Amino acid sequence: MSEPVKTSVPFEPILTKYINEPNAHTIEHFLARGGYEVARAHVGVTDPATLVGIVKDSGLRGRGGAGFPTGMKWGFLAKGTGKPAYLAVNGDESEPGTHKDRHILEKDPHQLLEGVILTCWAIQSNHAFIYLRGEFILGYERLEAAVRAAKGKGFIGKGIFGTAFDLKVTVVRGAGAYICGEETGMLSSIEGGRGYPKIKPPFPAISGLFKCPTIVNNVETIANVTHIIKNGADWHKQWGTEKSPGYKIFCLSGAVKKPGVYEVPLGIRMADFIEQYGGGLVEGRAMKAVIPGGLSAPLLTPEMVENCTLDYESLASLGSMLGSGGITVLHDGVDMMSAIYNTMRFYHHESCGQCTPCREGTGWLEKLAHKHHSGHAAEGDADLLADVAKNMRGRTICVLADAAAMPMQSYLQHFRADFDARAHEPAHAARHRTARDEITPAAKRDSVLHGAPGVADVGMGNRE
Amino acid sequence: MTANTAPRTLSPERLRQFHDWVDEYPNKRSMLMMVLRLVEEEFGSITDEGMVIAADLCGVNVAHVQGMVTFYTHFKRPTHGKHRFMVCATLMCALDGNTDSALAQIQAKLGLKPGETSADGLFSCEKVECLADCDKPPVVQKDSEHFCSMKGPVLDAYIDSLLAKEGKASTDYLGKAVVATDLRVSVLPSHYNFPGETETGARHFDDKDAYLAPVAQGQAPRTTTVPPALKTPLTAPVAGTSFSNNSEDAHV
Repeated sequence: MSEPVKTSVPFEPILTKYINEPNAHTIEHFLARGGYEVARAHVGVTDPATLVGIVKDSGLRGRGGAGFPTGMKWGFLAKGTGKPAYLAVNGDESEPGTHKDRHILEKDPHQLLEGVILTCWAIQSNHAFIYLRGEFILGYERLEAAVRAAKGKGFIGKGIFGTAFDLKVTVVRGAGAYICGEETGMLSSIEGGRGYPKIKPPFPAISGLFKCPTIVNNVETIANVTHIIKNGADWHKQWGTEKSPGYKIFCLSGAVKKPGVYEVPLGIRMADFIEQYGGGLVEGRAMKAVIPGGLSAPLLTPEMVENCTLDYESLASLGSMLGSGGITVLHDGVDMMSAIYNTMRFYHHESCGQCTPCREGTGWLEKLAHKHHSGHAAEGDADLLADVAKNMRGRTICVLADAAAMPMQSYLQHFRADFDARAHEPAHAARHRTARDEITPAAKRDSVLHGAPGVADVGMGNRE
Repeated sequence: MTANTAPRTLSPERLRQFHDWVDEYPNKRSMLMMVLRLVEEEFGSITDEGMVIAADLCGVNVAHVQGMVTFYTHFKRPTHGKHRFMVCATLMCALDGNTDSALAQIQAKLGLKPGETSADGLFSCEKVECLADCDKPPVVQKDSEHFCSMKGPVLDAYIDSLLAKEGKASTDYLGKAVVATDLRVSVLPSHYNFPGETETGARHFDDKDAYLAPVAQGQAPRTTTVPPALKTPLTAPVAGTSFSNNSEDAHV
């Protein structure tokens, strides 16, 4: 917010420029638009340290959610260990609200592969893994075909581009686990195990895949590498803010007229983004809240949205996060208790179960959210929610516990009245009632959810 | 869903695919995710015998494979219907009743609620978490087919086309009995021995180094032993009967 935004520089989509062209996923289309030329020019020629330097100077930050500077991460890669180094590209994209990597994988996979080749040369890795979520069936087929086509042209394999540099690219398909989007969980999955995150340190850059030094980057981050190396660090920094340079793909969903995927410079106002790209809210609806960075990001109220710009710092200053760029607009008819129950059900379902605070905590959050949703909460249950959420944060191997606790804390902060309105049972009566039982259809019908004036029960997939 | 199918192995094409992957992965265990997909393609779902085959190909214990199959929810299990509907129920899809409308349409056509399989084993319906196409709700997957904005006449017509393909009508399902989609794994018979396994001890996998060693010039390429036929055929759970997790008799 406080930083000057370079809005004067015109911007055309870069990563998503070709996604609407029918054959953009084929190697012919990619070569016709100058594909693989950057990789050919640099692999085996440019000093890898120079490439790492360019990416570092460009200020590119990880697009998977955490926003860690990419060049700096590459710099941490352990050298001289005698072990092979790996690149693991994270295409698990499981944060609800996010569907940007899907478009790169399905519609422009060669763009990703060129970035993989350049990254592997820059970090001197001879083997890259690309991990896709199991649900990306078309993406897997297209990426596999792209790898085969690039192998056929000699861009991947032994002695790529006629140099002495070998590169293997292996595409791995997941099978429906949110936790495999966490970097070490993904590594566990590639190693052939359940997607259990590993404790850090050691960080993957020191000991990752198969206990070898590994760089883990998001699909969008890697796709950016080609453009940055081609055009230089200053070119990338002409957009965005001082600390969040460049551009990013945002996914807009929820109560807007034109939901979709939009690539915009970082640092533009969120309200403008929703208005200009999303076409504003659907007819007859007002904004109730916005989830700015995937389901785990704390909510923004309409007033906060007015003051918010789309960059890492602005959202952090509002107590939320840019995350993976999945923006969801909730309209005024959304029952927030329904929404939070749905959210907590998701995290309970996806908790891998390794750490007790998360395994038990997400279950408690779901049960208590269900009590509020069904109108059977007791006085003090909202305080209990706050207590459970607080005690989950920072106490687990990975951040899934935080990802579940953060939205709960923000709902409690901004919509506490909604919680209290459902807590109509005295504590002593509720003590004898467990969370899920005794809620008969008749009790449900009579609950405040269906009887409260002004709250439209929009049916949130919470049907038992 | 067939009971008492004869033990099989992967088809030659899929085994060739497996051998192609051997060079791509640093060890056999890391191929497990992809090998399970081969098993899924081969058998239509990940059956008990498929798990044994995957364990054998990847040099891991069957218990580990069972752990994988129950951890990852996208793998198809024998108790899923031949046509498996997965309806996204996460917030972005669920807003404005999109998920509920898709589920209601499936129920109106096939009489299935989430978590149920039709008694003939042809259709099943389940709620799943985010399928990553949040701007076009409701998102539905039917096995390997992915659909956006799956509501109204589009979804109805699609279900009708599946019914027509199977030679069925809605009336065959509405008001008829359904079975719960049981995703537990059944227990391998205690008298099943893995190759190299003794009566008392577990199999040791000490061939990894040999497997990873580079093939010398003139030496025959590495091959992976295809598991021999099981001594006792494993029984696939039959629709309509509940199967017990602790009874030895379930497999005799």
